[in-house]
Amino acid sequence: MSVSGKVLVTGASGLVGEGVLREMLAARPDLEVFAVVRNELRWRITARRLGALAARVIPVSGDVTVPGVGLEPLVRQRIERETSVVIHAAADISFSRPLDQSRFVNTLGSYHVAELASSCAALDRFVLVSSAFAAGRATGTILERDNGGEAGWVNSYEQSKYEAECCIRKTALPWTIVRPSTMVCRGADGDIQQINAVHRALRIYHRGLAAMIPGDRAYPFDVITSSYVVDAIARLAFDPAALGETIHLCSGRGALTLGELVDTAYEVWSEQADWRRRGVERAIITDPETYALFERAVNDTGDVRLRAILASLAHFIPQLALPKTFDTTVADRLLDEPAPSPSIYWKPMLRRLLQHNWGQTEEVAA
Amino acid sequence: MGFARYDGQSSPAIGGIAYAFPAASRTVGELAADNQLASSVETLEGFGFGQVHVAVEETPYDLALNAARCLLVENEIDPLSIGLLIYGGTPASLAFSDHAHAPDAAASLCTMSRFKYPSSRLQNELELNNAWSFAIDQLACTTLLGAARIARALCLAEGIDRALCVSSEFFPARAGREAIFNCTSDAACAVLIERNGERNRLVSATNVTKGYYWDVENRRDEIVASYFPTARHVLLRTIADAGWEPGDVDWIIPHNVSMRSWEILSGLVRLPRARLFSHNIARHGHTLAGDNFINYRDALEGGCIKPGQKIVMFSYGFGAHWTGIAVEA
Repeated sequence: MSVSGKVLVTGASGLVGEGVLREMLAARPDLEVFAVVRNELRWRITARRLGALAARVIPVSGDVTVPGVGLEPLVRQRIERETSVVIHAAADISFSRPLDQSRFVNTLGSYHVAELASSCAALDRFVLVSSAFAAGRATGTILERDNGGEAGWVNSYEQSKYEAECCIRKTALPWTIVRPSTMVCRGADGDIQQINAVHRALRIYHRGLAAMIPGDRAYPFDVITSSYVVDAIARLAFDPAALGETIHLCSGRGALTLGELVDTAYEVWSEQADWRRRGVERAIITDPETYALFERAVNDTGDVRLRAILASLAHFIPQLALPKTFDTTVADRLLDEPAPSPSIYWKPMLRRLLQHNWGQTEEVAA
Repeated sequence: MGFARYDGQSSPAIGGIAYAFPAASRTVGELAADNQLASSVETLEGFGFGQVHVAVEETPYDLALNAARCLLVENEIDPLSIGLLIYGGTPASLAFSDHAHAPDAAASLCTMSRFKYPSSRLQNELELNNAWSFAIDQLACTTLLGAARIARALCLAEGIDRALCVSSEFFPARAGREAIFNCTSDAACAVLIERNGERNRLVSATNVTKGYYWDVENRRDEIVASYFPTARHVLLRTIADAGWEPGDVDWIIPHNVSMRSWEILSGLVRLPRARLFSHNIARHGHTLAGDNFINYRDALEGGCIKPGQKIVMFSYGFGAHWTGIAVEA
């Protein structure tokens, strides 16, 4: 699809937004982009990283949580006239927010951006960056469609993303919904741009502060690289065949099992003499009932630190015991290359975490 | 590390067990009222604790002497047949003190009184004239299991026919009665190890020490987290070293820590036939001196354990030791 107008990107200072911005600008020398900027300082940092590409970005002050995206009237009019593609990547990615706060950014924010997009005279595409884990507690094969919300969700992020999808599906917009899996690193070298719940959970186990993991060694757990995700979005946003599609950007059937992921982690950690000396026993992958019993025991004891550790895991770790395989039929059809296998980048990513001490000694987080 | 796999013939056995509790006891509620607990009464009762035994008049040595004497009398053991006496538990500086005077007694470490050893005195008062005696220390709640393992090894290595292991522990008056969510009793326990015993053979043992956790106050959270995976490892290793399958085990004889922790460990280890002898948790609480052997005796006397059944004892010692012993009844 040729681009007749400009692209509007929300969340341009975030992991996905910045990556998509870079990919699009690099691939399309004539492309110009409106970037909705809520935090000017963060945008300046992003622009510096983009280098010369930033010259083709028009930052516009706005906030997706505000009706009309908080745009100045004249700016809005220009956007409505000139925008042909909207990529809505802004999100609150914290898993631990109260539901109303997650909804405020992720669901209401999507509604506001959709409302802006519907005013664009020549809109060709509205891309919602959702999440594979909008599937929540559902298990089995997760199809690239609205699978309903009957299974419930592990955290408010998942639920608010699912609700954002519902909001967009109801519109008459030319939408495409992309659902990235959990992005654990940039690519095959394992470079980590943003510390997330998976990394934080790994840190707790590395420090020997948690004894068990709910789930089963044979359950798949899906992760993906950010380079695959941003490349895919930058292409799908302009692909006519992606119109009206829901697309999993996931490892899918190539996902490693929980046992493989955990074994590799302990294998990498045991490469360190200091860690070996501590004699940290490998966490046990156990059934959710036994894990819940342990959680209950810790909560009953009132131990503040242990409770805090388990609470931080509680927003993410139940997903490990909800086996699911993300179907990638649509993604495979629309994208030429298959998703990279986690067996390529999981171990380098683990080594990077150690090298940077989970971002404690060096600014790893974006 | 474990000892060599059971060959069916040459494994020393438990020849007798006796124990002594002090006369006084306190309910969990009474302990809480006396500021002896860190956790709430509801939490500890929810974990299965009811009452503990508290030495008010008795010294740790008194309890040790009572338990050992009882064992010799009950089993009609000639004191001269004992070739080895291993004492464990309360250190010499506190062993002869009642709970109220323990802080003063600790000062004896700085005097010639430090050479007054409970192991020597036991040897003398029990007239174990042929017994070489020594003490083991710093194994916390795994002391008696450790002593039994050493006794077994020396019986085999040096041809000692009978070894007496005695452990006695108490908490001084203001030391508190809770150790990581467990209510503790004062007690002593004596175990006789016989080189050629017929029943209750010691089939295998596994001891894991993780020195990283020596700083129990600052590494408490890591210790709590490591407890379960290490306990699982030790239990499964003990079973495997005995030449058994997990499905072979008939009984788990626990240390009397919280029922909740045993429920969790049971979920992690999955011994399909094994039953947990938990009767004593509410009645006695946790004793550092030898829960496993106290429970083993009660299980035998109560008719729970039948000859030939396969038993696994497990205990954790704060500081940090995990120990399992397999016994064929």
